[in-house]
Amino acid sequence: MSTPTQSPADNNSAPFESWPLALRESVNEVFSMMVGAEIMVPDQADPPVVTEVTGMVGLAGEICGVLSLRCGKGCATKIASKMLGVPITEAASHMSDAIGEICNMVAGNFKAKLNGMQDKCMLSVPTIITGGDYQLLSVAVGDRIELPFLFDGEAVWIGLEVRS
Amino acid sequence: MSIRALIVDDSSVMRKIVERCLRQAGMDLGQVHEASNGAEALALVNETPFDLILSDINMPVMDGLEFIRHLKEMDSGKNIPIVMITTEGGEKSVLEALSLGAKGYIRKPFTPDQVRDHVIPVLRSQS
Repeated sequence: MSTPTQSPADNNSAPFESWPLALRESVNEVFSMMVGAEIMVPDQADPPVVTEVTGMVGLAGEICGVLSLRCGKGCATKIASKMLGVPITEAASHMSDAIGEICNMVAGNFKAKLNGMQDKCMLSVPTIITGGDYQLLSVAVGDRIELPFLFDGEAVWIGLEVRS
Repeated sequence: MSIRALIVDDSSVMRKIVERCLRQAGMDLGQVHEASNGAEALALVNETPFDLILSDINMPVMDGLEFIRHLKEMDSGKNIPIVMITTEGGEKSVLEALSLGAKGYIRKPFTPDQVRDHVIPVLRSQS
């Protein structure tokens, strides 16, 4: 996990050091309120990165970057199943939509936790990639936060890549 | 009498969650209509009378703020109470939605209780 000391957004009143905690709280709240299930922080080694479903939401304004969620297809389906309150077999077709909404709410909740950022940063509509054989390259160098979680024992990685 | 509700959100998952929250609040809902953006919602308002609209802001094609602007110009839509449900919960967005005629504002993520606490007073004020 990257924790640089200088804020990528110079005018931001919340120092970058506080962002990982704000992001973690945002993830916890979204899962607790909208999925109806707790998402856990792994207490030992980081879980493996399983990239079968990737959700992304762009941030533009005083914070410029991308918030992402990566997990396995089974995990994404379980999340959709919990959100909708339907069996796993019915949830598969809603997987992408559910992951996109989770990303959207985590990004929105995160910027709401940074003082004064709510009106100074806009969100894109979510993008979903299914499959893992890809590389995401950013043209601008910046900072990155990577947070591992466990949902029902399966790895969920939340990332925030910020452009300087 | 059943409440005729329209839920506007580009996420079908979110539309279903909002409907579930309304039902959990004990509201007597009839058939709930859904639209995935403001343009679809305006077309539905032209065809169907509604007692309540819940709308997202950040949507493709026509966003929620543009939707309210058009809705308030329509004879069939200007008196329907609208509550925004969105991640864009900044002061600027809230004030803009309220100034355009929204009756309430719920920020995602939300609990069923928050939906109930915002929506029921809006419906009561209409009756």
